[in-house]
Amino acid sequence: MIEVDMRTAVNAVSDVVENRPRPLREFDQIHMKTGDMVMQSEAIASWAADKRLAFIGDGDAISVAVAYLRKRDVLNFGPSRITVFDFDERTVQAVRRFADKERLEYLDAELYNVLDPFPDRAKFDCFYTNPPWGASNEGASVNAFVQRGIEAVGYEGEGCIVIADDDELPWPKQVLAKVQAYASERGFYVSRMNRKLHAYHLDDAPDLKSCNLFMSSLPENANRRAPSVSLTDPASLRNFYGGSKEPKVRYVHELKKPDYGKAPEGEYRLEFLPEESGE
Amino acid sequence: MSEIIHPGAGVLFMKVGTHAQESLADIIARKTREIEATGIGMWGYGGNTCHPSSMVQPFAEDFARRNEPIHLVMEEMDSKHFAEPLCAAEYSVDGREWKEIPKEIEVRGSRFALVIRKLRQAQFELPLARTRVAVGNSKGRLGSRYIAGRVDKACLEVLEEPERSNEEQKVRPINLVADLEKPYAVFLRNYR
Repeated sequence: MIEVDMRTAVNAVSDVVENRPRPLREFDQIHMKTGDMVMQSEAIASWAADKRLAFIGDGDAISVAVAYLRKRDVLNFGPSRITVFDFDERTVQAVRRFADKERLEYLDAELYNVLDPFPDRAKFDCFYTNPPWGASNEGASVNAFVQRGIEAVGYEGEGCIVIADDDELPWPKQVLAKVQAYASERGFYVSRMNRKLHAYHLDDAPDLKSCNLFMSSLPENANRRAPSVSLTDPASLRNFYGGSKEPKVRYVHELKKPDYGKAPEGEYRLEFLPEESGE
Repeated sequence: MSEIIHPGAGVLFMKVGTHAQESLADIIARKTREIEATGIGMWGYGGNTCHPSSMVQPFAEDFARRNEPIHLVMEEMDSKHFAEPLCAAEYSVDGREWKEIPKEIEVRGSRFALVIRKLRQAQFELPLARTRVAVGNSKGRLGSRYIAGRVDKACLEVLEEPERSNEEQKVRPINLVADLEKPYAVFLRNYR
């Protein structure tokens, strides 16, 4: 049993939450609640201890929390290397700025859209993704992210897929089945599943939870390795971010400003106290 | 059941009250004048439970393909809505191409708007246990379990039968109705 100083852990994750950009709902960026981020970060740090971990998208900033909890000695284990691949430059830059400020040498981020071929990088040992949950396309958007995760580990390694999990709704069950079938076709099996773990700032589905679906590759699965190609199949792209909506944006670019972390001046105005009239 | 609430019908349920420091009666009078002047009205709202492009538009288009109209059914409620009464100057169907909002139409204090016509008062009941969420992350959830707490609007499909359950059957009184008009829901910006 791991003992964690919960106050220090929550305060550390609070630093991470303060640093991450606000979510863009049109791209299914929906943030995990802070208490669940603490628990999830500990679980992922343990699962990926001493391994090279690729995040295929990470608006939640679990990557940063995992790295930072180790830096703050809340955890004495964690991945040896973490790289975040995300199409939102705000997320990428927020990771880089935090890593630079806190001297997290083992944390980095790259601008990347899952529709493009996965970049040729040194092999990772495991991948983590919390993708758009595919409510309107039977998990096709989840599988796009899973595909890139499998490519990141060179078809040999482990993955953690965070997706919807609900006993009442039909679509999360269909998505879970489709994702497991997709991974199985690529030589991965379900090694563990932790059900209904995480809650989100999700006003249209406040009770909807997600699970951790862990996958492992079959022996000698690297033989299946194939070149990474662009995702262009219209059937896979339909309803990528919800009903009737295929992806139209390649990258979300950050508008540069000199005072990151400060309230933008357009958000407020100051009313000054009257000046004292001196003699 | 009614002309509007029948098996297979699509309704967008919303609780409405004071909005952006304007009474409901004033809003109805103003919207009615806008519809008379331009043929359509824009009914402002916020939140993500009825996001224009990923929820309302596909929901309405799905019913339009079946030649089923979509009705906005509203329950009047006491509320203190503190949104600023800022008027949007532009609207967009997809968030990319923006057009000017006709000068006769004022949409105040909202990020999104439903495109409506035939706004009228009504008196009937919506049995939430006989509906289910038709689109989005809560698709398939029973309306009576979905409309609770902070969730006060939803794209619903009316079912053949209510769920058989010992739970209390929630029924919502409907006081105001409008027809949704293509493009059904739009984004707003450029507040004045």
